[in-house]
Amino acid sequence: MPKARNGPGTGAKPRRDVLASLKMASMEEISRASLPAEIMASILDYLPPVDLIRAARASKLLREMAYDDSRWVQKLKRIGCWDEADARKHAEEKFRTISNRESVEIQESAAPQQAPSQPSIEVTAVSEGFDQINLSTATTDNIAELEVDPVLGALKLAKSIRGEARQEYGKIHAALSPFYDDITSLGASSDNLLFQKYTEPQQQAQILSQLQAFAKCDTTEGWETRHEHLRTAVSIFETAALKEFRHGYETDDIDDRMKKYAQVLYSLNGGGSAAELFIHHNHIVTKKSDLGKITDCIDASTQKVKLEHTQVFFTRLSVAFNEEVTVINRAFPPALQVASPFLEKVGRDVLYPFLTAVFDELHRSNLESYLTAVSGTFVQCLNLCEVLLPVQNSVDTFEERLHHTIAQVYEPHLDLYLAEELDFFRKGSEAAVEEWDRQLSEQAASTESFLMSNINRQADKRDFLTSFKKVIMAPVNILPGFSGSKSGEEKPDRDSLSGDAASTQKPNRFSTISSPGNPVVEAPTTELAAKAAIMKSKLEGIRSLFSIEIALGLVHAAKSSLERAAQFVRIGGDTGAAVKQQCEAIFVALLRILGHGHLIKGFNKAVDHLSNYRPHEQGDRDQSGVEPLVTFLELVNVGDLILQMIDVFYEQELIGSKLTDRNDFVDPAVKEKKKFEQNLDERVAAGLNKGIDVLMEEVDYIFATRQLATDFNPAVSTDPYRKTMDVSVTEAAAAVVDVVSSHTGMLVGSTDKSTLDVFNQEVGLRLFTALCKHLKRQRISTEGSLKLISDMNHYFKFIQTLKNNELLIYFKAFRELSQIYLVDASDAKELATLIADADRFSGIWRVEEVYEFAERRADWFQVKRDVERAMYGIGCNVM
Amino acid sequence: MAETNTQELTFTSSDGKNMKVPRDVAERSLLIKNMLEDLGEATEAIPIPNVTENVLTKVLEWCTHHRNDPPTTGDEDDSRRKTTDIEEWDQKFMQVDQEMLFEIILAANYLDIKPLLDIGCKTVANMIKGKSPEEIRKTFNIQNDFTPEEEDQIRRENEWAEE
Repeated sequence: MPKARNGPGTGAKPRRDVLASLKMASMEEISRASLPAEIMASILDYLPPVDLIRAARASKLLREMAYDDSRWVQKLKRIGCWDEADARKHAEEKFRTISNRESVEIQESAAPQQAPSQPSIEVTAVSEGFDQINLSTATTDNIAELEVDPVLGALKLAKSIRGEARQEYGKIHAALSPFYDDITSLGASSDNLLFQKYTEPQQQAQILSQLQAFAKCDTTEGWETRHEHLRTAVSIFETAALKEFRHGYETDDIDDRMKKYAQVLYSLNGGGSAAELFIHHNHIVTKKSDLGKITDCIDASTQKVKLEHTQVFFTRLSVAFNEEVTVINRAFPPALQVASPFLEKVGRDVLYPFLTAVFDELHRSNLESYLTAVSGTFVQCLNLCEVLLPVQNSVDTFEERLHHTIAQVYEPHLDLYLAEELDFFRKGSEAAVEEWDRQLSEQAASTESFLMSNINRQADKRDFLTSFKKVIMAPVNILPGFSGSKSGEEKPDRDSLSGDAASTQKPNRFSTISSPGNPVVEAPTTELAAKAAIMKSKLEGIRSLFSIEIALGLVHAAKSSLERAAQFVRIGGDTGAAVKQQCEAIFVALLRILGHGHLIKGFNKAVDHLSNYRPHEQGDRDQSGVEPLVTFLELVNVGDLILQMIDVFYEQELIGSKLTDRNDFVDPAVKEKKKFEQNLDERVAAGLNKGIDVLMEEVDYIFATRQLATDFNPAVSTDPYRKTMDVSVTEAAAAVVDVVSSHTGMLVGSTDKSTLDVFNQEVGLRLFTALCKHLKRQRISTEGSLKLISDMNHYFKFIQTLKNNELLIYFKAFRELSQIYLVDASDAKELATLIADADRFSGIWRVEEVYEFAERRADWFQVKRDVERAMYGIGCNVM
Repeated sequence: MAETNTQELTFTSSDGKNMKVPRDVAERSLLIKNMLEDLGEATEAIPIPNVTENVLTKVLEWCTHHRNDPPTTGDEDDSRRKTTDIEEWDQKFMQVDQEMLFEIILAANYLDIKPLLDIGCKTVANMIKGKSPEEIRKTFNIQNDFTPEEEDQIRRENEWAEE
């Protein structure tokens, strides 16, 4: 044969051919045994086992090479039935009997290093499906059973013993190769030896599975076609088995036919195809249109989502799912993992398309409804988890997988959803504020009416805040009835009922809030709404600046947005973090719009009003207050209220639901909140500053217009009937105290104590200065001094209510001062002592200043000389 | 790289013939490659003492055809190489008489050209596949050193291998 091949090859190159043949001829005898042993050995590597044995019969050297144990171990390894750890154990036992201590020690020291390889080998063995019988029944029975028919357990019975690998291989070969050769030489058909000899599909599957492993050691020429044949045979068998399996599933023959063929397919190749078929042709998927129609879930006229209908969908899904789970539990061997692919499939092919369709539809038609739907169905989904039966025995991981599946379904929607949620809230709030601004500018002319009702604001505020807190703390209102509750067993009837109730309740609640222009149309449905209505009527005065209802509306919108979004925090991981961020963003948006857009704007307006206020130019003065200041102080109250509202909201929604960390100072929500508080404080401070100016102008104005010249100097009066010893307070003093006290009183409880103190102190000092200035413009007779003293007492009493000791000293000094007018003109000496007594006035005035006050005495020119003499001695006589 | 491609070496066969070989072709032989790495530039003719001109020509023909093959990776890959399949070109190439085949194998072994050696061995393996022990002895020119009893014992030990 070599000669025949040689012919054409050498023929192509005639010249060389001549030389070669010459050489060949000359060397024929000498170099016949030309190949060295190592090359011979590597030639043997390429021989199939049968030829290897034949070669072994050629000579002792070849036998030695062919019998080499590693050659056969290699083959067993390829088949997958060589266990290195087992081999080591056998070797160890053998060494012990020889009692070779050294080698035992070596073995023992080597053993731990080798140990890690053991599990991996076992794992591969399991995954290839050889251990399946072991799992279900006792090992001893099996071995016995398998020994009856060595073919069925050929691979199982193979032992891993060094030095006997060839024999072990021989057993396997003897068992399997007839079937293998039959299939590979004749091709795959139902007439194969295998199918004739074994009729039980279970056995056929076992053998086919072993043949697949056995084929792995067939590497000699033409192996590809042989493997192909085997594959065909396997796939024919598999198809047939699958058909039976499917038939079993379709005819509901679960415990018998389906279970049997699941087992068969599992023995064949791990049963992946059965699981796949089951999943792909699952009733739940093929009949998913029965679960619910998308059009049912959307109200055709309003384009609103009907959550009760989605709930029906979920309930049906859970029933269908549980049915399938029982089928899985009954039909599939436990080792076969059907649960997680099945779950994934349901998630991907049933849940996802349905939800996507609903979401897409809603996103197109009704954004708010879309937001409700995304969040609502998510909660329903989580509730769904609770009623689902666990698949197979994977109870622990099942829950986790369910959540994972749901997370996967929702993840693609989340980005859009979160963006829309924030956008929706922002747009809605901005629109509300703008709408209000617009309405305001339309009726700007008519809003300038003020009604100051001196009610107890603090109590009102507290009252309002408690109701507000109650509402904030109330369970989530996105999905009333089943959102927060973990009761699990919900009846769809009840859900739809409560759903209806909610849908009728909600619009009502919002309607009173979202139409600020209207007087209360209908009885407010909630406590908060009622309180808001009362509050609103009381805050009539600042209607032009700020609307408490807008604020409430915004907070409500933020709350519902936040709580919808917060549902998704449960997904956890990156998505959860993104959700948290978005929630904070919503909060920040709320602060920006409500705080900066609405409240601070109102403040700015009020401060503007204040600075433009000129009391002298105000013609009509029938009310007791300085109107812009009153407004402003009201606003400070409201600002404080809003601040507290936001604080409650922050505590409840963000901290309470663990969306953000209070102590994280770089957190955007915390930062924004701080900024808002700071801004508000600044506005309040600026406004108060302006307010004091205005207040003092008003005080000055009152002094200028209301203090009659006769008040402290009745002698100049032309009224013959005047009472002489009148000790009542003058009209001007009463008016001043009224004005000032009404304004300072308004602040109590609305700003923090320190601001209030500063404000009061400033007011007091300014009032003091104003009084000094005023006094120096008066002329006071001894007779009128009584009135002055009572005035001063009046002021003093007022200052006492401010509870500021420093201020009290000033006004005490005033009281003392007024006595210098009481001293009779004849008693100039006494007067001089009074003037010179700096201690009496606690050092508030210097002597010169007191002297100046003394000059305001009506009879000053008569007493001047005497007083001066008394004060400075004779030397002053020069004058 | 371009330089090494154009660079030519000279080989001297055992029968004294010189032949020019492009360097990259010559470097298919690990022996030559390692030698060149040690020597740097080889200006003189390199003697290949164990290989005659006609065998060397044949070997170089193979090297030229496979000059652009990726370098053989270590033994990791050899489970794949253990298959006895041979590319078509190599099959044709190996259609020589047995003497030449053995010479090529020896040359490949000496020059350390692993892929060529593998192909050679595979060819020989295919040659003796299905042959009787006697035919195998003839092919490798070896003596039967078994007694009939011994031979019988082997057969009994390996009954599974009987057709």
